[in-house]
Amino acid sequence: MANRDMVGATSSRRDFLRVAAAGALGTVVGVPAARAAPTTLTFLHDSSFIRDFDAYFQNQLAPRYLKETGTKIDYELTSVGTLQTRVSAIIETGSGADVLLNNFNWPFLYDEKYVDVSDIAEEIGKAQGGWYDAAKEAVVVNGKWKAIPFGNIGQLMNYRIDWFHEVGYDKFPDTWEELLEAGIKLNEKGHPFGFELGHGFGDNHGWIYPLMWSFGAHEVEADGTTVVVDSDEMARAVDFARTFFQKTTLEDCLGWNDASNNKAYLSQQISCTNNAESILWVAKRDFPEIAAVTGQTLNPKGPTGKRFHILLPWSHSVFTGATDIAAAKEFLRWLMQPQQLEGWYASAESYYAPYLHGYDNAKFWTAEPRNLPYRESLATSHLPGWPAPVSRPQAEVIAKYVIIDMFAKACGGANTKEVMKTAQAQVKQIYGQPA
Amino acid sequence: MVLRSESAVAVPARPLSRARFRIKEGTAFGWMMAALPLLFLVAFVGYPFVYGIWLSLENRSVARPAVFVGLGNFIADARDPVFWQVVRNTFVYTIVATVLKAGGGLALALVMNQNFRGKNLVRAMVLLPFIVPTVLSTIAWMWILDPAFSVLNWFLVHLGERPPGPSWLGNPYLAMGSVIFVNTWRGLPFYAITLLAGLQTIPGDLYDAATIDGAGSWHRFRYVTLPLLQPVILIVTMFSVIFTFSDFQLVYVLTRGGPANATHLFATYSFDIAMSAGQLGRGASVALAMLPALALVIAALTLYMRRRRW
Repeated sequence: MANRDMVGATSSRRDFLRVAAAGALGTVVGVPAARAAPTTLTFLHDSSFIRDFDAYFQNQLAPRYLKETGTKIDYELTSVGTLQTRVSAIIETGSGADVLLNNFNWPFLYDEKYVDVSDIAEEIGKAQGGWYDAAKEAVVVNGKWKAIPFGNIGQLMNYRIDWFHEVGYDKFPDTWEELLEAGIKLNEKGHPFGFELGHGFGDNHGWIYPLMWSFGAHEVEADGTTVVVDSDEMARAVDFARTFFQKTTLEDCLGWNDASNNKAYLSQQISCTNNAESILWVAKRDFPEIAAVTGQTLNPKGPTGKRFHILLPWSHSVFTGATDIAAAKEFLRWLMQPQQLEGWYASAESYYAPYLHGYDNAKFWTAEPRNLPYRESLATSHLPGWPAPVSRPQAEVIAKYVIIDMFAKACGGANTKEVMKTAQAQVKQIYGQPA
Repeated sequence: MVLRSESAVAVPARPLSRARFRIKEGTAFGWMMAALPLLFLVAFVGYPFVYGIWLSLENRSVARPAVFVGLGNFIADARDPVFWQVVRNTFVYTIVATVLKAGGGLALALVMNQNFRGKNLVRAMVLLPFIVPTVLSTIAWMWILDPAFSVLNWFLVHLGERPPGPSWLGNPYLAMGSVIFVNTWRGLPFYAITLLAGLQTIPGDLYDAATIDGAGSWHRFRYVTLPLLQPVILIVTMFSVIFTFSDFQLVYVLTRGGPANATHLFATYSFDIAMSAGQLGRGASVALAMLPALALVIAALTLYMRRRRW
């Protein structure tokens, strides 16, 4: 199986002829049989929200790898939000990068073009305290590790400690119902909530899916085929979301993107939102007075008594079209060693929460205790679409914002039964089932 | 006018086939001149277009081999309620924005055709929205339409509106209105400058003759300006309809099709399906669904222009 992966799972006769022709040409012109290691590998990444993170790789890790192995790492950055287009183009054209960054469910979408890296994952896991289960959920496709998990960009509650205190809350509410009560009081005081319900990438999924799960609802069962959008649990979740939105939240959230809540929070327009560590990170740099009164905590529990969080993983894959798959795997193995990882993680504080237990007590966690809930949240984090296994129809449900829009329409005033009926029909259609 | 008629009589028009035959008989240089643009068209327009059609007939996911499904993707589109919302959105967006751009552009062109101090500066300034890259200007609009920072909301709140003021991108109707407004703001200079160029080709003596005949300003506009400007208006409208119908950047930056698909257009919806979901075939079918409407517009205008012999 390893050999099959080395040449790509979808090798065709044309590939075979191309390799054979190249081999024959090599024989004729006298190219040595053993190929030299490549002088350059391309490592495709999304621009990090935290500049130090990219700078650390460019200034520390890439030169170190060049010195140790003689291989230059070309760290190619895409602007935020455009990585998937670039990855799709590379996969379709068969060239452009050797090691790629993945978001969300991409290892499942592109698994046939990704090399099996189970050997590296097992080795790294064994040496560094073992992997969180969430890591496996993010990258293990049909029993094979199609990417090496890097870190989770958790989405948790960010709130104004001082304003919550003013309305009688010394600690953040433990349940959604209690948060609703607090939100009503805060809204009356001119401090509304701001939870994204537009077509962003992460902050909308960051609270809607966990809220839905904590009410016992989901769109497809774990069998991957039974569509259960139209359920009593979902109706309760939608009804609650409507009340929560209408009594606590800014109307503008319906059109927000992922940057909107950061802007609104830092301009002191909202008292609570669901976000990554970026709000506190920017506040500490630019608005210390806001940073001093900002808290971060786990999502509230729902009627099931459970709390959930969204899994927003970053992982790295080796492309089957890499110039030298063995060299690309070797680079990935090197990158995941503690000598490299510790500094790289620390450069972003704990923005990318490691999936390895070996970093549970790393210095970057204790440097800012308010970030610790992001580590805790890994135990209850899942990909959108959970508990159904990741599939292409599921990816289409997410890409079409079926669940987000169902909640958004209800929050805009639409009838619960109607929005659920429409979403149920949409999900069924996407899964190829009769309505 | 007389000279033109005589010249037309002196040199009888050649039938089209004869004209084509002349190219065949022409020099190698002529062929070389024609070959480059033709190659360009085939490579960068023809091939992607044909490939797009082919993709739309396949069940084709990123990284996976394709399976031919015929019209299966189009049938799936027809059963998708969001697709029909996208159709409605695109028509509303295109029709309203085009009418606003045509009306506003014509008014602006008429104003800029007058003699006043700083005329050239005004003409240059009018082009600014068209010159600035769409993504940049749209980001500026994103701030203008964000209630927390909006200059519009600042004024409205000071005039008595309840803070934070209207949610320009959060309310489905206001969101559609906002993207139409920004599109109009951006597209207006294209109309204005092109129509201004058309206005400047109208001979002044026609206006003089009309004035002597007793025509007022409205009648001069109605019976001199408008008929002579009609070919330019039609051409500009055709281009504008095509650009507006297939708009992507503006909506993608401002709303990404939200809230709840209220501003999704063919291009943005197609992108979400093809890229985020990795369904290239389905995405291509959504993008191609705009072809019949655009083809009709182009065919109608072309026939009209031929009939009028412009």
